Amino acid sequence: MTALLEVQDLHKHFGGVQAVTACSFTAAEGQITGLIGPNGAGKSTAIDLISGFKVPDTGTVRFEGKEVQGKTPHVISRMGLIRTFQSPREWPGLSVLENLILAHFEPRRERFWRSLAGPSRLERERANDKLIRARDILDEFGLFHLRNERAGILSGGQKRLLEFARIRMAEPRLVILDEPMGGVNPVLGERMATAVLGFVAAGTSVVIVEHNLPFIERVTDQVVVMAEGRVIAEGPFDQLRGNPAVVDAYLGEMPTYDDAES
Amino acid sequence: MIDYLVSVLTEGSIFAIMALGLNIIWGWSGDFDLAFYGYVALGAYMTLVLTIGPATSPTTYILGLTLPFPLAVAIAVVCSMLLALVVGAIALRHLRGIYFSIVTLGAVYVLYVFAGQFVPLFNGYNGLSGLFDPMGDVLGLDFSAYPFFYLGLCVAVLCVVLVLVTRLSGSRFGLALRSLREDERAAAAFGRNIYAMKLKAYVIGAGIGGLGGALFAGYLSAFNPSAWSPVETIVLYAAILVGGRGSNRGVILGVAVMVMGLQEATRYLPEIANQPSFAPAFRLILTGIVLVLFIRFRPQGLLPEHRMRDKDPADTGGTSVATGSAVAGATLDTGAA
Repeated sequence: MTALLEVQDLHKHFGGVQAVTACSFTAAEGQITGLIGPNGAGKSTAIDLISGFKVPDTGTVRFEGKEVQGKTPHVISRMGLIRTFQSPREWPGLSVLENLILAHFEPRRERFWRSLAGPSRLERERANDKLIRARDILDEFGLFHLRNERAGILSGGQKRLLEFARIRMAEPRLVILDEPMGGVNPVLGERMATAVLGFVAAGTSVVIVEHNLPFIERVTDQVVVMAEGRVIAEGPFDQLRGNPAVVDAYLGEMPTYDDAES
Repeated sequence: MIDYLVSVLTEGSIFAIMALGLNIIWGWSGDFDLAFYGYVALGAYMTLVLTIGPATSPTTYILGLTLPFPLAVAIAVVCSMLLALVVGAIALRHLRGIYFSIVTLGAVYVLYVFAGQFVPLFNGYNGLSGLFDPMGDVLGLDFSAYPFFYLGLCVAVLCVVLVLVTRLSGSRFGLALRSLREDERAAAAFGRNIYAMKLKAYVIGAGIGGLGGALFAGYLSAFNPSAWSPVETIVLYAAILVGGRGSNRGVILGVAVMVMGLQEATRYLPEIANQPSFAPAFRLILTGIVLVLFIRFRPQGLLPEHRMRDKDPADTGGTSVATGSAVAGATLDTGAA
């Protein structure tokens, strides 16, 4: 299994607070990697450092073998690493369909002169293919009937789905999902679990930060546990269950997926 | 009466050009720019110093050339864009929202005081004058026919600008700019270079503003700092807000209502003895009231920004690949007019 994302010895401090200390882990291609840990463990900061929204003090981040630490978010995004945010960040004033169309970035078509000249015949055809694809994805996520609505009017759960639909549209090599289950009801949760598995099937590897452990247990192949800014354990979820350090730092009494179902 | 109508329409088209430029900056990419009138003013000043000939004592100003009017306008537009590139490169780097506005307000006041105090540049507070009926003598127009020609010129330029911005507005470039306005972190996460895109929009908007300023100079035949107090920018913002932020047709309508309608209507208020400043003050009060009412009751404006509408694929037939290409392709590309 080759490592798609390799994080080595990442450090970041804010004033006197050491948010991330010697964070190292890898995420393999074609897998779903969970990133768990108590609040304040440095998970979100780690994501920001990996995706370029914050610059690490020291350490390296390798994506597909290329060092990306310190690069700007759009550069990393164009390399095929897309992240989501803790709260859904749809473009509220744009329609749901426009949200999807924009999720797939076409650098050539967005150039100023190209836009002034108008799309070529080939681009027109591609735009049509893209529209059909966007419709299919919306249909899959049950948002098709809302495609002409402004994304801002969607419910919290629908915004989560839209976020997933945008990732499907963008087709990145790796997606980092930041707490996608926040405020999501169990029925929708099931749908989102299916969607996460669907990402892998579509060729997008996944890193997922989540507090919902039954969900983590269900979808992940590998789990990284962080506490107080450092990685304290790494391995399949079943193994971590017995790891005293993990239990002590985070898990404690832990329900299984089946418990949560009943 | 006809003269009056011609002058109102000329002024209206010039303001519409300016508002279309500002709409790119505020309406599309979402930056509340208060330096905008500085670009308008630079466009006007540059047009004047490039056309009115050498300075005669006691006036002083730079250049003093006698270039043909269209060439002078083109150079003036480039100058406005270069100034916007400098201001935008600094202000857009890290600042957003109110912080961006404050920096641009600072920038325009620096320009304003500089233009006023540094007399060798544009003759200080006395300003420049002497651009009479540009292109009138070349075309052999006398002073009675000239205003009609200039109105036609301004309307023609407005139409060209409108066609271009409508094209841009509906393009992917225009749509992507809206995504910056709506949520720029998400836009960055999906591959947009925010700084570069915002700066592009800023420079293009300023260039259109400079074009408006150049035509304004030709219309007024003179320009001085009192013509561009930064308050003037607010009138443009009022027009955009009332017409529909982000919507090009809305902006034109907004200029018709707020600049031509409101301003001209208040001109006929009865004079109040010993209170000559009443009418202008009342105009501003009325502008404020209209703005508040619109923000409260119709924030999207009279003609809201157009959203891409996707028709039901069932309506276009099962083979949506074939029939959809005309329908759907067109919807995609003319989405946000």
